[in-house]
Amino acid sequence: MIKIKIKCFSQVKYALGKKELVLELESGTTTQEVERLIRKKANRNLDIVSLSVAVNKKYISKSLVLNDGDEVAFIPPVQGG
Amino acid sequence: MIITPQKLQKWVNEGKSFTAIDIRPKEMRIEYPLSKLGPVIADIKSIPSINNDLVLICQFGIVTEGIIYEKELKNAHSLLGGAQAWNEFQLAKEDFSRWSRQTVLSEIGLEGQKKLMKAKIVIVGMGGLGCAAAQSLMTAGIGNLKIVDGDTVELSNLHRQPLYSAEDIGRMKVEVAKEKLERLNGDAIVKIENLYLNKDNGYNIINGTDIVIDATDNISTRILIDRFSKELSVPMVYGGLFQYEGQIGVFNVNGCKGYSDLFPFSQSDQVNCAKTGMLGMLPGIIGNIQALETIKLIVGITPNLAGKLLMYDGMNHSTQTIML
Repeated sequence: MIKIKIKCFSQVKYALGKKELVLELESGTTTQEVERLIRKKANRNLDIVSLSVAVNKKYISKSLVLNDGDEVAFIPPVQGG
Repeated sequence: MIITPQKLQKWVNEGKSFTAIDIRPKEMRIEYPLSKLGPVIADIKSIPSINNDLVLICQFGIVTEGIIYEKELKNAHSLLGGAQAWNEFQLAKEDFSRWSRQTVLSEIGLEGQKKLMKAKIVIVGMGGLGCAAAQSLMTAGIGNLKIVDGDTVELSNLHRQPLYSAEDIGRMKVEVAKEKLERLNGDAIVKIENLYLNKDNGYNIINGTDIVIDATDNISTRILIDRFSKELSVPMVYGGLFQYEGQIGVFNVNGCKGYSDLFPFSQSDQVNCAKTGMLGMLPGIIGNIQALETIKLIVGITPNLAGKLLMYDGMNHSTQTIML
């Protein structure tokens, strides 16, 4: 098992009602799998929202396998002006 | 009281009687002598015994303001910008004293200020972000500003767009903004584009500028700005808002990633502030950070946000920076 911290921003925070959460996951879990889990927890509130992902404060363009202690940030694009 | 180099020069030209006192340490007086000011007393102890107008001079004009205030000196003037501004005025006949509080910063200095005054910045979108960024850039001395927006002022804009007031409702935003911005710095050139940036006009709007500030309220325009920013090698300073949160990024600088690399699947139908609401302070904060990053890019100050995304949360004032 691995323990990871999730950082939620903008619509993700809004949809989950939390800025941070800690998840215990199977070893070998990928960022893509965590994103699916987050979307499921959001009860369809993130269905039209695309998410960029950063692991340990570094943007990633492709899914990767997570390690124990990793911090994963889900960042939606925002509008506003 | 303060006196600018320009006004002091007028006193000199008119032969007005005054006593100049250089309070700087001897080594600084030798290294940076005051040019063309005539006799200067270099002894602060003699200040109280002199009755005519005094002009106190330090290196940057800050220490002397404090002395005048503390000693309650009458008829005493602090030379704004100090010896630095005076000597530059003698050299280039340009009065930089207005910006003395920022030229005193070693990272800016007179050379940085000159870069700002030559800079050409375009702001796309004159809503909350654009108003904040434009005001700060004007007061910082940016010499050429182009503002782009096809919208008119509405009542619902006023709580977060301080360049506009109730009497401006119905007028074009860029026209009102130009009037207000020119009052902040009459020497700056403010050009207006009374239209929305699109795929046909975007190239020409951004071409010829040093930096494009993305202050739009929609993702589809952001994607276009990013495209033209890349094509023209004009850095893009991005700002976005969601309720109490803001994002700032500096993209397409020296080959670093752009908006579309960070958000490759972003859609234009995601929620905007009209749907979610927003306090007016947030665009003020984020727009000012965009202005700060713009200044840093122009002057060449590091660290900056090039190749990074900063996220600010106005609820608990936390920030997180992501490397792209």
